[in-house]
Amino acid sequence: MPAPSKNNLYLGLFTLSFALILLTVWIPMDTQTGLIEKVRRQVTIGDALAPTVAGLFLIVGGLLLILTERNAPGQSTSSMSGLIFASAAIFIIAASLIVMRWTGPLAVWMVNALQGGDLEYRLLRDNAPWKYLGFLLGGTMMISGLVGLVEGQLRLRAILIAVAAVIAMIFVYDVPFDDLLLPPNGDV
Amino acid sequence: MGTLDYIWMGILSVFQGPELFSILGLPVSVTLVMIFAGFLIGIAVGATPGLAGPIAMAIALPILISVFGYTPDALLPVLGFLIGVMKGATIGGAVPAILFNTPGTPDAFMTTLDGYPMTQRGKAKKALRVAHFSSASGDTFSDIVLFVCAPFLALLVEAYLDLPEKTALLILSLSFIATVIGGSPAKGLISTGLGLLAVFIGTGEDFYPRLSMDSQTLSRGFPISTAILGVLIIGAVLKELQDLWFQKRTSGTVPRQRDEGDQRLHWADIRRLLPFIGRSAVIGTVIGALPGIGSTLAATLGYTVGRSRYAKLKRPDAPDFGKGAAEGIAATEAANSSVSGANLIPVLSLGIPGNAAAVFLILAAESIGGFNPGPSVFRFTADEVNPELVVAFGLFTAMMIANLLNWTIGGVFMRSMGVMVRIPKHILLPSVLLLTLTAIYVQETRMEAIWFTLGFGVLGYLMRTLNISPLPFVIAFILGSKLEDSARQAFAATGGDPWFLFTHPIAAAFMAASVGIILYSARRKTPTL
Repeated sequence: MPAPSKNNLYLGLFTLSFALILLTVWIPMDTQTGLIEKVRRQVTIGDALAPTVAGLFLIVGGLLLILTERNAPGQSTSSMSGLIFASAAIFIIAASLIVMRWTGPLAVWMVNALQGGDLEYRLLRDNAPWKYLGFLLGGTMMISGLVGLVEGQLRLRAILIAVAAVIAMIFVYDVPFDDLLLPPNGDV
Repeated sequence: MGTLDYIWMGILSVFQGPELFSILGLPVSVTLVMIFAGFLIGIAVGATPGLAGPIAMAIALPILISVFGYTPDALLPVLGFLIGVMKGATIGGAVPAILFNTPGTPDAFMTTLDGYPMTQRGKAKKALRVAHFSSASGDTFSDIVLFVCAPFLALLVEAYLDLPEKTALLILSLSFIATVIGGSPAKGLISTGLGLLAVFIGTGEDFYPRLSMDSQTLSRGFPISTAILGVLIIGAVLKELQDLWFQKRTSGTVPRQRDEGDQRLHWADIRRLLPFIGRSAVIGTVIGALPGIGSTLAATLGYTVGRSRYAKLKRPDAPDFGKGAAEGIAATEAANSSVSGANLIPVLSLGIPGNAAAVFLILAAESIGGFNPGPSVFRFTADEVNPELVVAFGLFTAMMIANLLNWTIGGVFMRSMGVMVRIPKHILLPSVLLLTLTAIYVQETRMEAIWFTLGFGVLGYLMRTLNISPLPFVIAFILGSKLEDSARQAFAATGGDPWFLFTHPIAAAFMAASVGIILYSARRKTPTL
């Protein structure tokens, strides 16, 4: 019979460590009022009490995990390949968001550099086609990248599907509404 | 204003709301159209493996708020749409379970056990009819229980529970939810603790936002939609993509089954199924009324109880449970469908969400304003109109309309949705991910919100990988501020008594029950050592 997984034990120890740091370091150093405060002779609950209760939930959960569930059957089996997939997926999403954020301003900068104009993306962020550039490119990169990651290769079909999906989203969230801004046009 | 006046005003608020168009001179209100649209979209979403009602709610919410605005008039159309989605998705989940052995929603898993064998025997349409009839029956039953129990329970809460008792009740709810969801009390408590911690970051009464690490980004706290959508939707998408990546399964052609013989549902069939539907509807309603216990458990219990009864009564030539017995489908679908209405009992009477769909109803109500689900809704004020009570009865009316749609067109629409299963999951899920992030952005209009959502998504993914249910996290995030406010008020009202949770008998009983349920759950787990 295989030895039971130790994942619950490790998770319990990690939770307990995190909760102790929360209760002894983070809460005392990062809240201005204690558990109970006395203001003008009136006693009130301070800002530290609520996160302390959260910490107590973590302590009890961590202890129970170590004491009663450390050898429980059906524990998760973590694997390196899972970690690799998750890292790759998060990298694709984060890179796509960065592309989404900077494509529009970069395109304006390039047009200015080529044509000598003084356009500002901030002033163009509600005008087509400028307002769609970042969302279209970043969104296409996100969808096709994730599809490609699962399929093991990036195919033209995935890119075309991604473009169609992003255009459909533009028609859902932007075209019918004057007051909605697609990412990243609220920030620039 | 009497009770009947309120009920009548609630009904009128649905039928006489803002008019969208008229048919033969009869005005059709926008709320009616939204319930109808939500119901159809819900069936389509439920019938699509990889999607579920909460995803459609998440994507639709910012659009709905943009269309209807932040006015009290927006409440019924938006909540009506979400209720439509909730009910539609419940019956839609049975379609791929029966036709393709792929549950559209997790609680439809038990439906595959008898539904797919019936399809293999050429009885697909009959199986779908059984699922629809059972689902609609269970749903209607639990709605009626909701209409009767929620106001009654709310009145009891208002009459007998003061601030210390309400604080203790919130702690009891959190302890209960933490220990019963997901099968691991310890992990449930960790999930709850993390949810409470997340909601307390960047908030508080002092000038300095607590736990914000002097960061401008954290000083405003986490918007509720980023935490809920991140943990529930993005986390699920990442985990599902990983599972697909592991499976590396090729999208082979789906075997097509031909329908053979009589596909209709006869009165004799209905009479045979009704005892199974009745038992499962009661099981599902009781389980649904307890916050946090999902429809999956209801389906499993309903199926188990149905199987033991079937074993005693079955004809020798009839198929066993798990081999294509229509009673198996009926027992499962009636149980999981009857959860949805009963799940709103704790929402409307206590303000405590019990499942993901209820979470989105609260999110919508909080985003729009003017309706705070909880015991104060059911104040039957005689001298002036309580608008929240009118909205509550409007919601009940919306649920009845959705039920009516379910009984009339639901079955036909459901049977036409088999095509949705052909959309490959690994293409659908990345689109859902971008849609969700876009939905967050159009609400918050800052990239920070997207990064927060992604961060919560990673947390949700890790929780799923470690078999930690994310639902206690979400419910704790929603109830955290309410718990703190209630405790602050109770503390002030009792003159700064630090033992206010233990000096009032009902509050002390709730606290004892909180400790008791944690200890009981821990003891129950001990034999697994």
